Amino acid sequence: MNPQVPNPNRVLVIDDSDSIHKLVIARLRPEGLEVIGEFDGERGIERAVADQPDVILLDIGLPNVDGFEVCRRLKEHPSTRNIPIIFLTGTADTESKVRGLDLGAVDYVTKPFDQVELRARVRAALRTKRLQDILEQQSFLDGLTGLWNRSYLDRRLESELNVARRYGRPLTLVLADVDHFKRVNDSLGHLFGDIVLQGIAEGLRAYARRSDIVARYGGEEFAILLTDTNLRSAVHVSERLRMSAESRHFEARSEIVSVTASFGVACSEEIGPVLTPEELIRAADVALYASKDAGRNCVHVYRNGELLLTTGDPEALGA
Amino acid sequence: MDPIRSTYEADPDMHEIVCDFARELPARVAKLETLLSARAFAELQTLAHQLKGAGGGYGFAPITEVAARLEQALKAGAPEPEIKDRASDLCATLRAVVVPEAR
Repeated sequence: MNPQVPNPNRVLVIDDSDSIHKLVIARLRPEGLEVIGEFDGERGIERAVADQPDVILLDIGLPNVDGFEVCRRLKEHPSTRNIPIIFLTGTADTESKVRGLDLGAVDYVTKPFDQVELRARVRAALRTKRLQDILEQQSFLDGLTGLWNRSYLDRRLESELNVARRYGRPLTLVLADVDHFKRVNDSLGHLFGDIVLQGIAEGLRAYARRSDIVARYGGEEFAILLTDTNLRSAVHVSERLRMSAESRHFEARSEIVSVTASFGVACSEEIGPVLTPEELIRAADVALYASKDAGRNCVHVYRNGELLLTTGDPEALGA
Repeated sequence: MDPIRSTYEADPDMHEIVCDFARELPARVAKLETLLSARAFAELQTLAHQLKGAGGGYGFAPITEVAARLEQALKAGAPEPEIKDRASDLCATLRAVVVPEAR
């Protein structure tokens, strides 16, 4: 996803009255906003989950499931929790306003609404949402390398594993660890160690594919999540990544230093039928340690309980 | 009752939907009268509530005002003659609305 491409902000209106939908569309479209709508609570929730709007305008007096309940459920659902909700209330009583705000709504507009006020409140909610999105994204970035961090990877791993299971697609995890990093740090200093980590990270990012998720997993360990990728293709990518690390040179006190990294690969298809994120990580970790034990700077895969060295052996996985 | 015009008639963003809204009002009047004679007060209250919420937004402040009074009476369980009075006020108001000329 490219953050430079301006996306029209999307507003979801949940209100049982068609007149209100038309009114909101007429008032918000000139602002450059995309307006989508639903007429009852259940469908409104489904639409919010599916279309991920940036703001929700929610009527309180909905048939069947009322606006308060819809709000409560939207705030409970992880994928809609951060979408700001503005209540549209027909009644100006303090009690419903307070109740709505207590349930997590950011604001309310009383019907009939003044157009200037509606636009201003929607703009304010969008501003808050944008900042929140930026903050959330920052909290998933690694400060030193600019890669995704561990908590992002853990989150993605879980959701990608669900996708892989649902659609019967392979998901592969590669763990990489810089060899003898402690030695580099001890002899050449922590600042130099940081430069090495940044360089390795740059290489991983450059040689991974667009769809791969590259993260700093901790200390000198990196993780690469390869969606819709089987073991054989993942080994191919891993070899490329291993060589990208090996070929990098760092200059320290007029001395040229190069480092290597060890790799462990595990694929969701080659472990077991019901797989947890922890099991996939453990399998990749076991393979990584096999690479360390085998003398480092190589790639091992975990396949149905077996550990196979693939570096320098194109036939390791069979023809 | 004097004719009621939308204060947003000349607003290019609003012109078309104001026309649509005004054109649909006779059907709402008919529905209102049907509900009233059937003494379907809960549905009547919903209709009054919706007109209250939408009227002002379309530039018809009197609709909001009169519909609010009907909603209030229904909510409070006011005696039937009072409800009838307020409902006919609302019908009269809706009938006084002028559909804007095409531009």
